Amino acid sequence: MPEEFLIAQDLQKSFNHINAVDGVSFSIHKGEIFGLLGPNGAGKTTTIRMLSTVLPPDNGDVVVAGHSVRNQGDLIRRLIGVCPQELALYPEFSATDNLVFFGRMVGLSGREARSQAQAILERVGLTDRAQGRVEKFSGGMKRRINLGISLMGHPELLFLDEPTVGIDPQSRNNIYETILGLKGEGKTILYTTHYMEEADRLCDRVAIMDHGRIVAMDRPLELKRKLGPPDKVTLEDVFLNMTGRSLRD
Amino acid sequence: MRAVHLALFELRSYLRDMGDLAFSLLLPITLLAVMLGAFGQQDQFNGTAYVVDEDNGPYAQQVIGRLKEIKGLDVRLISASDAESRLDRANITVAAYIPQGFSQRLSGGQGAQVTFKQRGNGGQEGQIVASIVRGVVQEVAGEAYVRNQVQAALSGSGTNPSDVASTVDGYLERERRSPTVGVREEDVGKRPNMLFLFLPGVITMFALFAVSLRSQAILDERRNGTLERLLVTRLGAGELFFGKFLAGLARGLAQVVILLVLAEIVFRIFTPVSFFSTLLVAALFVATVSAIGLVIASVARTREQASWIATIFTLVMSMLGGTFFEVQSGLLRTLSRITINWYANDALKALITGDGTLAKLGLQMAVIGGVGLVAFFVARALFKAVPEGK
Repeated sequence: MPEEFLIAQDLQKSFNHINAVDGVSFSIHKGEIFGLLGPNGAGKTTTIRMLSTVLPPDNGDVVVAGHSVRNQGDLIRRLIGVCPQELALYPEFSATDNLVFFGRMVGLSGREARSQAQAILERVGLTDRAQGRVEKFSGGMKRRINLGISLMGHPELLFLDEPTVGIDPQSRNNIYETILGLKGEGKTILYTTHYMEEADRLCDRVAIMDHGRIVAMDRPLELKRKLGPPDKVTLEDVFLNMTGRSLRD
Repeated sequence: MRAVHLALFELRSYLRDMGDLAFSLLLPITLLAVMLGAFGQQDQFNGTAYVVDEDNGPYAQQVIGRLKEIKGLDVRLISASDAESRLDRANITVAAYIPQGFSQRLSGGQGAQVTFKQRGNGGQEGQIVASIVRGVVQEVAGEAYVRNQVQAALSGSGTNPSDVASTVDGYLERERRSPTVGVREEDVGKRPNMLFLFLPGVITMFALFAVSLRSQAILDERRNGTLERLLVTRLGAGELFFGKFLAGLARGLAQVVILLVLAEIVFRIFTPVSFFSTLLVAALFVATVSAIGLVIASVARTREQASWIATIFTLVMSMLGGTFFEVQSGLLRTLSRITINWYANDALKALITGDGTLAKLGLQMAVIGGVGLVAFFVARALFKAVPEGK
């Protein structure tokens, strides 16, 4: 039985009486890449915010490595790294400055932060732009540094919220390789994306969310098999089948 | 400690942003230079007397001649229509009219009248010029009166009238050159340096501007997700808030230190004690303003809202707080006492001029610090790193 590193139990969150997340439960095994899929407004980002201690749940609980978000948020924050959907960077500073700064914020010493920043720059293929100001970077480079920041402090659990949105194939490939490398190191990853091929390729299991609820959860192969022959059915077919074809905000 | 790192990181950002540096340093220096250039170098009164001479007689000439002898007074002779036109356009505020028959009436021993036409009360310069003109006219009229009286007294005595006239004129001239009653001016101290008036106002106004406008940057950070990203590090919500407060303090203090050091290098106005006392009061003010900036960032929903709130707040505080000139009239004067700028400017002026010490500025420091504490706790209660979160 694989070890459950994160357990979300009956998570609920509403804003102005509208349920953004409505009774979401799932668990992520240690060393697993877990995909959280869903159309815009399905509640993925709100769920990640609750999992990462930014938003307190109205109901339910999240337990990470035995620590509850209810009263042990500070212990959870020592274990997690978050790559947000937005490019949450300081554009006037260099790539190294950004990494070192966030390294200090996760509790690294100056020397540790600089050493990790160098290793991460190499990992995301930005060593030659280490001193370049982030505002001068291309979209792909910014995405890579956005991901790199979440790796500072060697977190055990990573929340990667659409890390490959709007970038070129080369940068996307670098990010795939980075993520698979992290999995190889035993990291646990929660991954959201709108690219179904990406989820199919990277994720061990996926959960499809819609209207704040999980409507399907299994291995991609199993989800495809439920709809038809797996070599004929794509994860996108499954996604559209579960969430419908009507347009979303 | 992480809060300090956060503050230092923002300080680096400020020091490397040339636009921000230019705004926060060059603008106050330029403004100070302009104010000193406009008001700081006047050792005596300088004004212009606009005179309409409709008389063209000897006494009118005498009045104009004597006005021209007065140091610092520029006498401009203009026509009546020009005067009307300029007064209409508010190009001038006062004009003195010497009416037709002025000299004839004085020669005949009759009273005469000079008219001042003015807009409002004529303004400060206009009132001073009018007072000077009035004095000269009264002097000339008085002399004419004496001349006439002596001539009348000696008429029929057989004395040559031209001898009488030249003798009287001689006495009057001597009296004018060395008056029997003198006015002695006693110097009781150096003339107040206008720099002392303007420097505190410029420091407080730009500290308020720069730090309250930081609220926009905080809203930007909330929007682009860096605040949220900081929240998932080991930086707790309280530390994040304190870090932002310290960042505002560090940024404002850097600006104040540079301005004070420049002021000392250029004007040599501080003693070591007055420099550090001034710095301490300025630091207290900047801390208060940093907390106010966080309140603005907490209540504003958009960058534009934050910008408007910060601008209006800064302008109102600066105007009422006597940034350049103390508010004189009743209600505004009372209102000025409820601005932190007034207390800060008052304390800074006292320290810079050497009239006060920190020990004597307890009230001012208590008010600034008290407002700062209230703003700090209000901001802490309202501050959110993410729109719906902590």
